[in-house]
Amino acid sequence: MIRHSPAFTRSKWFLPLFSVSMGAVLLAASWLGGQPLAGLASLGVMTAFGLVFLLGGRSETIRGLRGDGRDERFAQIDLKATAFTGLVLLVALIVAWVVQIAQGHDGNPYGLLLALSGITYLASVVILRWRG
Amino acid sequence: MRLDRSLAQGQLAQAMGVSRQTINSIENDRYTPSLPLAMALARYFGVTVEEMFDDQA
Repeated sequence: MIRHSPAFTRSKWFLPLFSVSMGAVLLAASWLGGQPLAGLASLGVMTAFGLVFLLGGRSETIRGLRGDGRDERFAQIDLKATAFTGLVLLVALIVAWVVQIAQGHDGNPYGLLLALSGITYLASVVILRWRG
Repeated sequence: MRLDRSLAQGQLAQAMGVSRQTINSIENDRYTPSLPLAMALARYFGVTVEEMFDDQA
């Protein structure tokens, strides 16, 4: 089988454990911010999300997202979905940036995020071109 | 070619290390396999890649 992702992300435990870990990080951040109940709610949501992925059965979508059912076709699906998500985010950032400027603000943090996006895209193109 | 050998999509998928849905998508022209997978499929059936995928071959 041709591998399309690192071994640890192909384990069925990776995404569920990642979800719970993110929930724990959110809980800690919310606790520090004086909102422990919101943190506990976040941990609950992320744990439920992890359980859906862990117990998701034989669904190709769940197994592909989880990693253990990922093959070259799913890797392509993932790539296209990631590109589309990035496009939607960029459009949202541009709209928010323009609206902020029109309201007399400096456009940040949207301008900074757009700059980061642009630099990341250009650097990726250069590096990927070098790698062939 | 698969049916000639009485192979289920799942059996071929397992032999190729891909999902059953990927085999189904290839058979229904919804997905073009990578060159390594195309070669593996051709090798599995003992034919050339052209014979496997080119209707004109």
